[in-house]
This record gives sequence, structure tokens and C-alpha cells, in this order.
Amino acid sequence: MLLRRVAGALIILLPILWALRRALPGDSDVVNAGGVPLIGDLLAKALSPRLDGEFLRVVLEATGTTLAFAALGTAGALVIGLLGGLVLSDVAWSRRPPLPVRLVRGLLRGVLVAIRSVHELVWALLLVSVLGLDPLVAVIAIALPFGAQTAQVFGDTFDALPTRALRSLRDAGAPAVPAVVFALLPPAGPLMLSYSFYRFECAVRSTVLLGAVGVGGLGQELVVSLSSRNWDEVWTLIAAVIVLSALVDAWSGRLRTDMAVASCAEWSAGGTTSVPRRSHSRWARWSAVAVVPGLVVAWIASGVSLSGLTSERTRMLTVGLLEDLVPPALPSAGWQVVTGGVLDTLAMAVLAMSIAVLITVVVSPWAVAARRSGGPPAPLGARAVRWVVWAIARVVLLVLRSVPPTVWAVIALLALFPGVLPGALALGIYTGGVLGRLVAESWESVSPAPRDALVRTGVPGALATVAAVVPASAQQLVTYTLYRFEICVRETAVVGIVGAAGLGRLLADNLNFFRFPVVTTLLLASFAVSVAVELISRRLRHAIRA
Amino acid sequence: MTQTPSGEVVVRLQGVGRRFGATPALAGVDLTIRQGERVAVLGPSGAGKSTLLALLNGSLEPSEGSLEILGSAPAGLSTRERRALQRRVGTISQGLDLVEQVRVLHNVNAGRLAEWGTPRALASLAWPRPDRRALDALTAVGLEWAVHERTERLSGGERQRVAIARLLIQRPELVLADEPVASLDPTRASEVLALLGQAVRRGTGLDADPDAGPVARPDGALVVTLHQPLLARQHCTRAIGLREGRLIFDAVVDDLPPAALDDLYARA
Repeated sequence: MLLRRVAGALIILLPILWALRRALPGDSDVVNAGGVPLIGDLLAKALSPRLDGEFLRVVLEATGTTLAFAALGTAGALVIGLLGGLVLSDVAWSRRPPLPVRLVRGLLRGVLVAIRSVHELVWALLLVSVLGLDPLVAVIAIALPFGAQTAQVFGDTFDALPTRALRSLRDAGAPAVPAVVFALLPPAGPLMLSYSFYRFECAVRSTVLLGAVGVGGLGQELVVSLSSRNWDEVWTLIAAVIVLSALVDAWSGRLRTDMAVASCAEWSAGGTTSVPRRSHSRWARWSAVAVVPGLVVAWIASGVSLSGLTSERTRMLTVGLLEDLVPPALPSAGWQVVTGGVLDTLAMAVLAMSIAVLITVVVSPWAVAARRSGGPPAPLGARAVRWVVWAIARVVLLVLRSVPPTVWAVIALLALFPGVLPGALALGIYTGGVLGRLVAESWESVSPAPRDALVRTGVPGALATVAAVVPASAQQLVTYTLYRFEICVRETAVVGIVGAAGLGRLLADNLNFFRFPVVTTLLLASFAVSVAVELISRRLRHAIRA
Repeated sequence: MTQTPSGEVVVRLQGVGRRFGATPALAGVDLTIRQGERVAVLGPSGAGKSTLLALLNGSLEPSEGSLEILGSAPAGLSTRERRALQRRVGTISQGLDLVEQVRVLHNVNAGRLAEWGTPRALASLAWPRPDRRALDALTAVGLEWAVHERTERLSGGERQRVAIARLLIQRPELVLADEPVASLDPTRASEVLALLGQAVRRGTGLDADPDAGPVARPDGALVVTLHQPLLARQHCTRAIGLREGRLIFDAVVDDLPPAALDDLYARA
């Protein structure tokens, strides 16, 4: 027992120590003394953001662009997800599918894993080199990885449904497509809609990120203002990003609780066991009515056109890119560059995750909505204080996760020399916001009954919490931490692209110099790392649950 | 009273057996069912009743013997031909297999998916219009008021009748019912069996199809698994007994000797 504990502690501590050593090499400076005053300037401008009419119009327009890209990207992802999900699910094929279908399915599964192992920002970089700075880049960069993820989730959703209705239709001779539409979509509908809105929330955040490659919207304005050091503009834009993010979260959260009892936490952990609720609220109705016109407006307003896809130039550039990408080659400095990038990526992810867990442990307990416990109601004053603390904690988490990690990275890079540390810091702050919210939401479902029982037997409140609530909460924290770690590894690409370190930085550098064979090698390396981490984390999660 | 059925053969089984792995579920069954017959299949649980029905609707193939449904042997059929055959066979099971989340009308129209083909079926899901046939089917089961109701809001008995309306609209030539009354009280059970009998009877007004013109169509056949011999006597013309996968009696219901039933349900 003791041995197991020690082993467990070492599994956690050793990687952190190793990552710290990698992030803080003894021989070189970490802090860029020249940059520290810049941070001071940045902070000083917080109280005087740029609010003149001209700039606000720019911000408003950028917000519209971001929303439009996110909506169109999500729509594309849903089409991919629905078709892919049907092909992947076992239910949709009434009997054992024929061999060619099974082969195609296996292939599709692999392709989808590969697609979602590449971060949307990397997709955007690759697409920019073919399509140029076309709005289509943003839409496709969101639609592809999100679609791959959605296909997986929809496939699992279909397979969890009872199959009898579908089978009975098929036995009565119904053709496959209408039978599937009649029997599968209605029961899966609420869950699929709920997931779609969750995806839209994520898409808004990702679209802001994509600004880093210059495809427009709030993200691009942010990068421009940051790099020209117009700090007053930066603050206005950050406020806009936070407000947008909060509004979308609130809208989509409201819809999701109306339609199905699935929390964000459940979806992001890859599925839900909740039973859909069948009351269509006015919110859900009006949102459904707004979706199609909203998409049309988004399409027209954002100036997305598919003509870029079919143009001769795109075709030539695509063929050229594919020819350039193969055969893969090592960087001129040798394979050490690649392994160094892999190790930097892992170190960055480990450190970022440590920071995120730290933030979660400090902030999340306050971000859990207060629940009535068995005892007498607390005095009004105490409840008001509790509410204020809750609201502050929620806002802190919202700010941390709404400001894109690219922005955190650019800020960190003002004061720190490029390397693992600024990347880990930026990613850790952002991931802390995401993880903190997920964990707080999941803690809300931890039963207070055992704690109340202890309190009734005379145990002091704090002690009762430690004894009865912490064990259950700790397990959820560990589960979500492992899950987020997988994503974190993928997201190191993001901070890498703005100049931190790791495979993302190598990718961006080599793309800049059109060294495409090296890019292929790096993409393969990222794919291998992300799959390996996913497998290990899945093993660990199973081991913990067992 | 005994009259030999004279309609055309609907199903013919000769020496049919079906095994799952090494376990035989059905063995050496010889059975011919003709138009106009209403056959009760009696027997204890695990006697092979469900296997027999699965063979009769073409979703299962026999391991041995020859099986002929509505003039064709399902074993040799292509997928398309099999679907065409299954369209003429209506199946209703204890679980009803309705889609709970949609309107009653959709569940009734689900019986016409095969007839409609893909484009029209999809159009009907998007713009449901209760046409004459759908309304007739619902009227026949006393649910004309429920066309636009959500299926899950109906009671158990009402849902059972929705499933029968789905069967009626399919206009099957052979109706297979797997313990349709197992969970119903005696009055309801009688109603349901009467409706199923109606589903295979032609020219009762229910099937009066304005498009079809005055074509007289022969009655279909009903095969229903039951646990209550009394209901079999009231609603069926013929009863067969299955035990451990073998056919142990096959008689006109009025001639059914009580001893045969005792034998059927006796413990081994």
C-alpha cells in the first residue's frame, strides 16, 4: 500500500521535476530584463482602454467576423460529424457490414484520429499556404478537427441507443436511409444538439486563436495590437473577447440544460450518460429558429466563398504542397532537433498542467455553486459573502480561459526569453481556466449527503468536508486533469507558433521557410506524441477507475 | 365446424430446423399456413416460438429444411428482394419498437417507408401530412385524436394500438405478432387480438383504398404467439403447440383437446 503511494507520487513528481529542469536551464537567462517595463506599460493601460467610436466599430466588426467563422465552422463540423458518425456507428449497419465497408470504416477511423491530432491552428497554417488569407481557411480549419471529434461522439451516441425500433423498421423492408432517419435521429437529437452548442462555444474560442495566422476577427486584431504595442487597444479587445465568450457560454449553457441534462464537463470528457429531457423551452425554440438565418447571414457577411476551393490556383498549390510534403525529411541540424522539440512539447505540457492544477485547486472550490445543506440556513450576510466569492471565482476562471493562450504567450514573451517556460506559463493559465470550470461543474454533482451526515454527528464543518467531499472530488480532478493533459499536448502547438518552444515553434519556423519535407516529419512526430499520450492517459484513467 | 382452409399457401415449412451454435432452437418443423388462417402458437417460454417468428419474417434463415414465404425462399434472395418480401410481412413485438420521441403520425407512417422509398420518406419526416390512409389506420384503432400527439405521452395500451396502426398501414399479407398481449388485462387483450385479426382481413372498409380501385384482395394470414389458450380459441382458427423446438400438436382450435395443453405446459 505504502509502496503504491510512493510509486504514485513519483509518477507525478518525476515528470514535473524533469520538466522544470528543462524549462530552467542553468546556463542561460530566463527573464528578459529589457522586457519587464513593457509589462508595466501593458498593466498601466488597463484603466484607460481605447474606447473611441472608430476603434469600437473595428472591434464590433471583428466580433461579427469571429462569430460568423465560428458558426460556419461548427456547421461544417456537424455535417462531417453526422456523416462520419453514421458510418462509424455499428447501429446504422443493421447486420455485420460487408468486408469493403469494414475496411473503409477502419480507414476512416484512422483518418479521423489523424485529423483531430493536428491542432486547428496548425490546420490553418497549412491551409493558408494553399488558399492564402481566405476566410475559408478559418472555416475549414475549425470544421476539420472539430468534425473528426464530432464524428467520434455522434458515433458513440448512436451506438448507445436502443436498436429495436430501427431493427423493426428494417425487418418491415424499409430502405436504410429513411429507417435510420426515422429511428435514430429523433432519440439522438437532443444529445446531438446539446453537443453541437458545446462545440460552438469551443469554436468561438478557437476562432479567436486562429487570428494568430491572420485570417481575421478578434484574434487577428489582438495580435496586430499586441505586436504594435498598442496596449490601450489590447485591453479593449481582451474585454470584447471576454464578453463574447461569456455571452456564448451563457446562451449555450442555458440551451444545453434546457434540452438535455449534459454539463460541459460531461461533453468534454467525451460523452454523457444523461437522459435527454423533452421539454422544449422557448429558448430552445427561438434558437432553433435563428440557426438557419444566422448561418445564411454569417455566410454572406463573412464573404466566405467556395470558389477558392475549386480555383485553378488552389489546385496547383495543393498539388505542389502535397508534392513538397513527401518524402519527409529531417531538419538540416539532424534528428536531435525533432527529439528536442518532442521533449520541449512534453515538458511544456507537464508544466502547463501543473500550473493549471494549481489554479484549479486554489480557485475552483470557491467556484462551486453553494448548495443548501441539511443544517439551518446560514445568515443572510454570510450567504451574500459566499455569493460574491463565487461570482469572483467564476469571473476569474472565465477571464483565464477566454483570453486566448496565444495572447498569454505574447505577454509572457515580453518578459521571458523564448523557451519552454513562457509557453508553459501561457498554456497553464489558459488551461487553468478551462480545467477550473470543468472541475467546479463536476464538483457540483458530488453528493453533500455524507458531509451533512458527519456534521450531524458533531464533526466540525471543515473536517467533515475534508473527510467526505475531498476523496470524491479528488478523483474527478485527476480524471479531468488527465483528459485535459491530452488536449494540452496538442495545444502546445498554439503557444509554439507565437514563438515559445516545442514542435509548434519548429512547425511555424519551417513553414515560414517553406521547408515542407521537414514539416511532414514534424507533423508525423506531433501525431505520434499525441496518440502515445492519449493511449497512456487512457490506461491511467482506467487504472484509476478500477 | 371443421373446415379445411382453401386459400393459397402463405408459408410452408418442411423439416425446418434452426440452431444457434450447437443448441437447436427449432427442429423438424413441418407447417403450412394458408390465406385466411389465424394461427395461435402456444408453448412455454424457450420453446422456440420467437425463433419461428424470426424465420417467418425472413430476418433469420433456417439451418436445415426448406422455408417458403409468400411464394419465395428467403435463403436465395438478394438484399433488395429480401426487403421487398419483408415489406409484405408485418411484425409486431411485445416491445412495440416505436420511436418514442416523435409524433404518433410518424410512427404510423413508418409502416410505409418501404413502399415510399427514400425521397418521399424523408419528405414526410420533414413535412408530416396526415393523409387518408394514415387517418383510417388510426381511426381503426380508435386513436384518430392522437395524430399529432408525441408518442411517449401516450399510455401503454395506446402505444400498443399505435403499433397496430403501423401494421395496418403496411397492409401486410402475413402478420406476425410476438406475445402482443402478454402485459395486457383480459379486455385489452381481446381488443388487441381482434384488431390484429382485422389487420389481415380484407374488404372490411378499413382497407378500402381509393387508389386501388375495386380489386378484391384475398385475406392474409395471422401468426400470433400466446400464452392463453382461451384467447386462442376466441380469436384464432388454428393452434399449434411448440415444446423444446418441436411441433407437438397442430389442430383447429375447436378440436383442441385439453390434454394437449396439459402436455404442452407440463414440466419435463
